[in-house]
Amino acid sequence: MESKSSTTGNRDNPNRNLHGSKTMMASHFLRALFRIQQTSTSSSSAGRSRRIRRAAYASMAYSAGTRRAWSRALLRKLRSRARLRFPRRLSRAATPQRRDMDQAQVLRKLVPGGPSMDDCKLLEETADYIRFLTTQVRLMQTVMDSISS
Amino acid sequence: MQPSSREMQGMAGSMNGGISHSVAVAQIALRELQNGHGGRQIPNSGPQASFDDGASGHDDFLDQMLSSLPSSWAELGNLKNPWDPPEAGQRIFGAGLAGETSPEEPSAAAAEGMRYPPYDESSLLANRLRQHQISGGSSPNGKAMMVHLDHQSQQQMLLPSLGRSPVASGDSGLLSLPLTLGTGGYDVDAPFKSLNPTGGEGLFNGLGGPLHRAQSAFGHPQHQGGASMPSQNFTAAAATGGVGQAASASASASASASAGGGTGPPRQKVRARRGQATDPHSIAERLRRERIADRMKALQELVPNANKTDKASMLDEIIDYVKFLQLQVKVLSMSRLGGAAAVAPLVADMSSEGQSGAGSGGANSSGDTLTVTEHQVAKLMEEDMGSAMQYLQGKGLCLMPISLASAISTATACPPRPLSSSSLSSAGACHLGHGILPGGPHLPSPSGDAPASPGVSALTAQSAMANGAAEAAKEAVTVSKA
Repeated sequence: MESKSSTTGNRDNPNRNLHGSKTMMASHFLRALFRIQQTSTSSSSAGRSRRIRRAAYASMAYSAGTRRAWSRALLRKLRSRARLRFPRRLSRAATPQRRDMDQAQVLRKLVPGGPSMDDCKLLEETADYIRFLTTQVRLMQTVMDSISS
Repeated sequence: MQPSSREMQGMAGSMNGGISHSVAVAQIALRELQNGHGGRQIPNSGPQASFDDGASGHDDFLDQMLSSLPSSWAELGNLKNPWDPPEAGQRIFGAGLAGETSPEEPSAAAAEGMRYPPYDESSLLANRLRQHQISGGSSPNGKAMMVHLDHQSQQQMLLPSLGRSPVASGDSGLLSLPLTLGTGGYDVDAPFKSLNPTGGEGLFNGLGGPLHRAQSAFGHPQHQGGASMPSQNFTAAAATGGVGQAASASASASASASAGGGTGPPRQKVRARRGQATDPHSIAERLRRERIADRMKALQELVPNANKTDKASMLDEIIDYVKFLQLQVKVLSMSRLGGAAAVAPLVADMSSEGQSGAGSGGANSSGDTLTVTEHQVAKLMEEDMGSAMQYLQGKGLCLMPISLASAISTATACPPRPLSSSSLSSAGACHLGHGILPGGPHLPSPSGDAPASPGVSALTAQSAMANGAAEAAKEAVTVSKA
């Protein structure tokens, strides 16, 4: 994938979609799905969903390569077989305080590899992460549509 | 406030030497804007010949500044003399001052009033530049620049006001500009100018790099209509193409600022500002803020509902969007369990479409996943027939005798397909997704070799009714043969 790095600024490359990485993501994800389906026909549905989710993030990280901090962190997490944990607890405590103080913290928790980045890099990685996430979600939706049709 | 007064003095010091350069740079900026904005076609030869020292440095700064401008500004940049005689400039200046609520404005005005005399000598150089520009055959841009040049005082008036805006402390100077821009490209930057004051020690404190200051500079010299607020100035600029004017002003601002400080070819290098050029902390801080502004702009494009004018709410949007996407991944992975059996056709389709097309015959490539399926089924069949059948059923396939399969294929109304066994799998693969025969439950677990069981034939008779079933049956035949 050759999505322009944001170090060159984003003003002159408004077209930053992930052309090259889309096919890689799709093939990796589909192969992973197939493998999951083959190997776990009798396993629990929770395990399957976890595996599918893991496969989704794995294909994201693989197609992003090692150029990105978040993909490196994600690959590390996947290889160490740690459980993919994402902080999505709906904590409504201290909402006003959350606005200014903890936003960076919250974002760091969400984006893989977040804690080890400074604010500027965090934003950059967040943008790239969002890009890949949207591509992955769209891919999964497409797969599901083609399955159910 | 102290920073602004410091800025004033610093600017006074730097202006003497740098005003000519800034003027030249302004010309260059204008022409660049007209020449398509993207390229760095600075007519280095002329202006630099006239203004030797440091002009190239200013050009670099211009590069940085101009490249930092949103691309939509290029469309605005047709400068057809939006400038009025000096009284407009003075009015604009007053308007710009009025727009800023910072208390240092009166003193600034006074300070600038005192500074006008020293810059008259630069008018000579400016005229020389103008001549050069005219001879260069520049577009109306040149004329516009000439008009602009005629009002040196206007420029210089603007410069101080511009210089004030880059107050690094993120004070009300920037805040006071309600940046509701008419053009879409501007809106991106609007939030970040107002971002400065909101957070105390937030993530993006003082968000508003030199880019925003340049843009706020645009707000100042705009409206010829008189004492209009800077917000109106922005929209007016968008409409009337006052961008060029502002570009020159801001270019001169940055150029003059750069006169005092360091240079840097890349866009995001340090751009020294008036009065704080020698302060490494402010330089680093500005650089950091500029970078953060860039990132936030990129994020705004990605995140829907990104028209928030508040940095905190923008960050909230980003956070919520990331959470939402992760939740979507989770939900999609959970709902995918239902379509378990149908992933194979997708993968098979991928590989078969990558080959010679559906049903066109030919041997399966080794990469064909259906070969994998067949191998798997064969393996399973060696161990346990029941599990093999289960596996097939899980895929929506069944086993049937070859003879029956061929009979079905020729008898049914399916689209004719080459019935070579090797092609069956590919043909079947393409149809797996359609009308998978519900034959699984009916199939008794055969004790011996599967194909001979009467239950199978009954099943295949049933499945023959389904349109796509024949292919599936053929697939089964292939499997059984393997």
